[in-house]
Amino acid sequence: MRTTVNLPKNRVMAAMFLLGVAGIIMRVFDPATSGIFPPCPVRYLTGLYCPGCGSLRAMHALLHGELGRAWAMNPLMIVMLPFVTYGLVSAALLELRGKGLPEVVLPATWIRAIGVAVIVFGIARNLPLYPFDLLAPGALLHLQ
Amino acid sequence: MFCPQCGASNTDNAMVCVQCGRNLQAAILAAPIQTPGVVLPPGATIQNYLVFAILATVFCCLPAGIPAIVYAAQVNGKLQAGDLAGAKAASDNAKMWCWISFGVGLGGVVLWLMLFMLGLVSGLHQS
Repeated sequence: MRTTVNLPKNRVMAAMFLLGVAGIIMRVFDPATSGIFPPCPVRYLTGLYCPGCGSLRAMHALLHGELGRAWAMNPLMIVMLPFVTYGLVSAALLELRGKGLPEVVLPATWIRAIGVAVIVFGIARNLPLYPFDLLAPGALLHLQ
Repeated sequence: MFCPQCGASNTDNAMVCVQCGRNLQAAILAAPIQTPGVVLPPGATIQNYLVFAILATVFCCLPAGIPAIVYAAQVNGKLQAGDLAGAKAASDNAKMWCWISFGVGLGGVVLWLMLFMLGLVSGLHQS
């Protein structure tokens, strides 16, 4: 995964600060009940779930150590989280010490596959058919 | 392709070098991109912004990240084909879509917070 990005150091610091503030807000306020978070524009306008729907609630659950609940809210985000974290840490290190973490250059077909997977996930979680409906945010929590 | 260790010619999808046995798949993934006729300075890469594209799409609820993912794929594809200029153009597009996502997301959040503080949307909660 290519992770280099040319941000000046102070912008890395600003990004880390914003990330920290966002983390605190996401831990303190529950997106499921609090109105301070903006609604997903896709869901708001169309009533459909987008591939990212549930990610705020998943982050809230993660920050409270509830991995199972986070997974139910948005499994795609949980799968992507380690890779994105690695990429962001690498991008930050690249700026701060001039050298990122070891990189993996993905073949173009793999990246297209990721894009297709995101779109398929977005479609599947809107289907009112078992087992696809389990992908809707929170659906797994009501599975008995 | 040619083995980066011994220089022996191998088929493009070979897993290991026929002559010295070096793992060629690892070489593809790890080595700097080198295509005949294309010289990238050591350590130089053309960024594809994939991490930020995924961040925008999956973590921020923004389908505007999808074009960024498509352009990220183009960057790596054109690099593989040795098309440096094309890769650079795709890289610029990927970057642009990441910034569009970021700008729209940030604008949306700021707008929402302003409306929230004005009490205009106190009854409209995300389900």
